[in-house]
Amino acid sequence: MPVFKTPFNGYSVRFSPFYESRLAVATAQNFGILGNGRVHVIDLAPSGPVINELIAFDTADGVYDVAWSESHDSVLVAAVADGSMKVYDTALPPQANPVRSLKEHAREVHGLDYNPTRRDSFLSASWDDSVKLWTLDRPTSLRTFREHAYCVYSVAWNPKHADVFASASGDCTVRIWDVREPGSTMIIPGHEHEILSCDWNKYDECLIATASVDKSIKIWDVRNYRVPVSVLNGHGYAVRKIKFSPHRRNLLVSCSYDMTVCLWDFMVEDALVGRYDHHTEFAVGVDLSVLVDGLMASTGWDELVYVWQQGMDPRAA
Amino acid sequence: MEKAINRQQILLQHLNPSLPSSSSEQNHNLAVSASACLAGDSAAYQRTNLFGDDVVIVAAYRTALCKSKRGGFKDTYPDDLLAPVLRAVIEKTNLNPSEVGDIVVGTVLAPGSQRASECRMAAFYAGFPETVPVRTVNRQCSSGLQAVADVAAAIKAGFYDIGIGAGLESMTTNPMAWDGSVNPRVKQMEQAQNCLLPMGVTSENVAHRFGVTRQEQDQAAVESHRKAAAATASGKFKDEIIPVNTKIVDPKTGDEKPVTISVDDGIRPNASVSDLAKLKPVFKKDGTTTAGNSSQVSDGAGAVLLMKRSVAMQKGLPILGVFRTFSAVGVDPAIMGVGPAVAIPAAVKAADLELDDIDLFEINEAFASQFVYCRKKLELDPVKINVNGGAMAIGHPLGATGARCVATLLHEMQRRGKDCRFGVISMCIGTGMGAAAVFERGDCTDELCNARKIETNNFLSKDSR
Repeated sequence: MPVFKTPFNGYSVRFSPFYESRLAVATAQNFGILGNGRVHVIDLAPSGPVINELIAFDTADGVYDVAWSESHDSVLVAAVADGSMKVYDTALPPQANPVRSLKEHAREVHGLDYNPTRRDSFLSASWDDSVKLWTLDRPTSLRTFREHAYCVYSVAWNPKHADVFASASGDCTVRIWDVREPGSTMIIPGHEHEILSCDWNKYDECLIATASVDKSIKIWDVRNYRVPVSVLNGHGYAVRKIKFSPHRRNLLVSCSYDMTVCLWDFMVEDALVGRYDHHTEFAVGVDLSVLVDGLMASTGWDELVYVWQQGMDPRAA
Repeated sequence: MEKAINRQQILLQHLNPSLPSSSSEQNHNLAVSASACLAGDSAAYQRTNLFGDDVVIVAAYRTALCKSKRGGFKDTYPDDLLAPVLRAVIEKTNLNPSEVGDIVVGTVLAPGSQRASECRMAAFYAGFPETVPVRTVNRQCSSGLQAVADVAAAIKAGFYDIGIGAGLESMTTNPMAWDGSVNPRVKQMEQAQNCLLPMGVTSENVAHRFGVTRQEQDQAAVESHRKAAAATASGKFKDEIIPVNTKIVDPKTGDEKPVTISVDDGIRPNASVSDLAKLKPVFKKDGTTTAGNSSQVSDGAGAVLLMKRSVAMQKGLPILGVFRTFSAVGVDPAIMGVGPAVAIPAAVKAADLELDDIDLFEINEAFASQFVYCRKKLELDPVKINVNGGAMAIGHPLGATGARCVATLLHEMQRRGKDCRFGVISMCIGTGMGAAAVFERGDCTDELCNARKIETNNFLSKDSR
């Protein structure tokens, strides 16, 4: 299975929604604490387990997240730790990049999500406790959602309702928002500790999963958010990122500070379906491909990006 | 710095959550603060050992070394030995020969001006334009190493950016000899007179004075042959040997046969202590130095291409090694073989290292007696010395030896990987001198592999000693 070594520590990996074999990787120097960052756009070679780098963009501070545009196949947005977001276009020559720099957040931008249904807008989650809504044609944000009391780590658009999104925050809550409404429409006090990631189920628009510093992942039905549908325990340390599968209704993948990537089936009694311990440092980024069933990628602070088929060993040659 | 501390705090909170409430960061009394960098001692090359003005070696090649008068190069002109290696360092690196600032050739026995002219001719044969100058250097057996050191020094002094240090000796064409009369004044000064001692006699002096037994010497010779044979058989020398197309003339019939020489022909894979014990001592009655435990008289050449690291990087040339220090010392001419025992510590100290830091040694085996003495005196691990054999098996073409050792050492260090960081080349020098040079691996090194076990720890930093 192909491996890509990045010079800096990995932070996030995302499959391109247009090309099956293309990924973007967000990396930061010195574990994202101090130094520069780099966004890599990489391609899986059709022949053999090789990953080629298409292009890389350097940034002045670490890149914490990256998101592909759903409207243009060569455009991606990078969330930089200095509070700005950079828009890159791989179809343009390197001198023309970044195409745009969107600087409004007061602190690190930690999460990005591009609207998959409406395809024109994206959200940024920042440690300045706010979430901002942007479109590519406007230099300033459209909306700012400021209700959280601590860092917002992650935002996720609802796959069915184009105006609904969720944000996960270090104030231990997940808030559901509607862009048409002035404030949040729902607050889920999901955990006793910080919530690092949230994601919607791709087949049931009412199910949302949250991943927390308390090492658990909880699945919630927004119609009845007092009690979780399911609690997934198994990680040894805080769970950093989760993603529901675009191909299987009940499957979700998570990566954690315990250096493993886990596959869960939350409808089953024994929910842990698979565990991959290929990383030798914190596993901080994971993604499932929308275009290829079962193809997954992960990255971690060990400066490696693995791309493998679910069920196979990521380290196998 | 504040930002870095804040980020660290946030990450620490993920790993070690303190209060399970939605309070802000001020509540958490985390012991995260910036402090002075505690990254290690004043070790010589701590954070990075790559600097743009380092003098690096990008290519080092040699011819095979053949027995003089009887071996593969017995009918080869000396300039035909040098031209192929000069050509090789240019061809293999795709360098434009006109960019070379100087070619310095170490060469010992030939008449000075004639050999210098032959070297100039060899440069022309090798494809160098007339704009590239050539010179020779003679510090007896260390001439090849001295040539490399001179080029490195000139690059550091800014005379030019790219230079070639080479070595050449055809002991078939120029056997060891003294031309003309000896100044009677030597009789008045013992040290001057001792400069005339045959090398073998100095070997006996070393063996006698420092108690190196015949057994030890023969064992060292057998080891040298064994290691050289193993290296040849496993193809290790293929990386560094440049095949030379030449001719062999049958002494009886006068027939010329074209040959390609690419293998050292002095190595005896089946040498054994019992065979060597049968040889008679040559230089002293009841002595210990025989033909078997002395270096062979040989023909050969070597060339080393040096340049600034910044130039090498700009040209995209892979870096074989880094030239660090060179040291030439003087010792008693009567026991000239002790040269390495004095020169090696001097060169290692000049590089701000300890003997323990050196991973590989090439100590010229002029005679087993002096080689064994130096090894014992410096308390070196035999496993690190002459791992692919030495002059007793491969040969000692006086001026070429230094350059040939550079090729052998650097290619072996390359093979050994990041664990092998520093190498030393050293030789004794007739008339009582020694020379040594410290080389470092070309690319960056793995500090963990190169970590040394601490013998004692008085908790003082190296600077305070």
